[in-house]
Amino acid sequence: MAPVVRAESLTKRFGKLTAVDNLSFALEPGTITGFLGPNGAGKTTTLRMLLGLATPSAGQALIFERPYAQIERPALRIGAVLEATDFHPGRSGRNHLRTLSQAVGIPDSRVDEVLRVVELDGAARRRVKGYSLGMRQRLGLAAALLGDPELLVLDEPANGLDPEGVRWLRDFLRSFAGSGHTVLVSSHVLAEVAQTVDHVLIINRGKLVRESRLDELTATIGGAVIVRSPQAEQLGDALRQAEIEATTQDHRLLVHGTTTERVGEIAAAAGIVLHELRTEESSLEEVFLELTADEPT
Amino acid sequence: MIAQARAELLKIRSTRTTLGLALGLVAIVLLFVLLTALLSSVSDLSQTENQRSLFGIGSFAGVFAALAGIMLVTGEFRFGTIRPTFLFTPRRSVVLIAKVIASFLAGLVFAAIGEVLSVGIGALILNERGISLALGRHGYELMTLGTIVGTALWGGIGVGVGMIVRNQVGAIIGLLAWGFVVENLLFALVPGVGRLTPGQAQNGFMGLTDAHLLSPAAGGAVLLAWAVCLCGAGAAIAARRDVS
Repeated sequence: MAPVVRAESLTKRFGKLTAVDNLSFALEPGTITGFLGPNGAGKTTTLRMLLGLATPSAGQALIFERPYAQIERPALRIGAVLEATDFHPGRSGRNHLRTLSQAVGIPDSRVDEVLRVVELDGAARRRVKGYSLGMRQRLGLAAALLGDPELLVLDEPANGLDPEGVRWLRDFLRSFAGSGHTVLVSSHVLAEVAQTVDHVLIINRGKLVRESRLDELTATIGGAVIVRSPQAEQLGDALRQAEIEATTQDHRLLVHGTTTERVGEIAAAAGIVLHELRTEESSLEEVFLELTADEPT
Repeated sequence: MIAQARAELLKIRSTRTTLGLALGLVAIVLLFVLLTALLSSVSDLSQTENQRSLFGIGSFAGVFAALAGIMLVTGEFRFGTIRPTFLFTPRRSVVLIAKVIASFLAGLVFAAIGEVLSVGIGALILNERGISLALGRHGYELMTLGTIVGTALWGGIGVGVGMIVRNQVGAIIGLLAWGFVVENLLFALVPGVGRLTPGQAQNGFMGLTDAHLLSPAAGGAVLLAWAVCLCGAGAAIAARRDVS
C-alpha cells in the first residue's frame, strides 16, 4: 500500500540555521505515529511543510503522494491542528467551524456533529474568549474532523491538557485509528504518547535519529518488560527456553530484550497466569532522552 | 470561489469588529455632516462646490471599508486563524480573491450607510435652513456612484495592504497616516503627483472639482488600478511567504 505521508530528503533552512535536515520517512495507513523530539528539534517546521504552510528549502513532503497544495479539497482527506489557540476570541466556536466548513462546502449539520463528537455542543454558541484551554484544544480538533479525514496531523495536542483531557484525547485517537485511519502526533514528551502510538519517529536538531515500532524501540534498547505472575518461576524458565533473559524477584519478573507481546505469547503457550504485563516506562523515557541528548562537542 | 467568499463574509459578520466599524462610520459621518451643515453660513452652503463637499462626507465609508479589509486579513495572522484557513484552501490566491469579494460587499454596505447619512441628513438640514439644493441630477449620480464603487474598491485596497503588511496595528496606522497625512501633503505640495494617490483619485471619481483633481473617469480608473496593484502584490507575497 502506498504510504499516507512521505518525506523525502526534506530540508528547511532559515538563514544559517538548518531546522530540518535531510529528513526522510513514510507513514503506513492505519498507524498512529508519534513524532518526537525535544523542543526546537524541527517537528513543527516539518509538519508545516507537510501541510503546505511552509515551502521546503530542498526535498519534498507528500501526502497521498502529492504536495498538500495540489490535493483537491484537502480538508476532506486530511485534518490538522497546529496550534491550540487559532481562534478569533470574539467568534463563537460554532461560527469558527462554519467559516471553515463553508469554504469547502461542508454542511452545517456536519459542524453540529463534530461539536458533539468533541463534546462542545453545549458551548458551541458562546464566544471562544470564554473557553478553557481544554475546550480550545477540542475545538481545534473539531475543525480538523470537519471533513471526515483519513489522516490526522496534530502538533503537541496534549500541551496544557489536564489528565482527564489527555485520557480523552488518547481514547479518541485510538478509536480514530481503530477505524483504519492514520495519525501523526507530535510531542516533546515520549511518556505523553507512549500509551497511544504504535510507531515512533524521533528527531533531534532536524535529523531523524530513530524510526521504529514503539515496542521494538523498547526491546532493542533494553527497556525492561515487567511481569507479575503467581507462576513467576515457571515463566522465567519458559522465557529462558526461548533464549530471553529474565530475572525473578518474588512474583515479579524483569525481562530484557523483548516485547510485551512476545512475553504474553510465551506465557499463553505455557498456560501461565499473568497478573501484570507492562513496559517499564521510566526506561522508555531514558531511551528517548539518550537518543535526543546533544552529542558533546 | 463562491464558497470561499461566503466563508469570508461569515468571518466579517461573525465578530463585533464590523459592527464597531459601522458605528464608527455613523458617528464620524454624523459629526461632520452636522458640524458642516449647521455651522456654515447660508451663503457658503448655497455654493454648489460646498454642497458637493457636504454630501461627499459619506465617502468616509472608504476609510472604514479599507479598515474592514485590513482586519479581515491581519486578524487572521493576529489570531492564527490563517493556518486553518490555508489548510482548508491551500490556494492562497483564492483566499485573497474571496477576501476581496467579501470586503467589496462590506464596502457596499458601508457606502450605503455613508450616503444615506450624508445626503439624507445634509439635504434635510439645508432644506430646514431654506437653502436650495444646487447639485444637479448628474452631480448626485456621480457622487453616489463614486462613493459606492469607490468604497467597495477601498475594501479591496485594505485586503491588499493587509496581505503586504500582515501586522494589524502597523497596517491600520499606515493606512490612516497615508490617507490623512501623506496624501494631503502630496496633493498640496505636488498636486500633479498627489492627485494620483488613491484618496484624491476617489475625490475626482466622486466629481469633486478642485482644479488639480482627476476627472471622474480617470479618478475611478486610478483607484481601480491601486486596488488591483495592491492585491496583486499581496497575492504574490502571500504565495511565497511561509506561514509560521
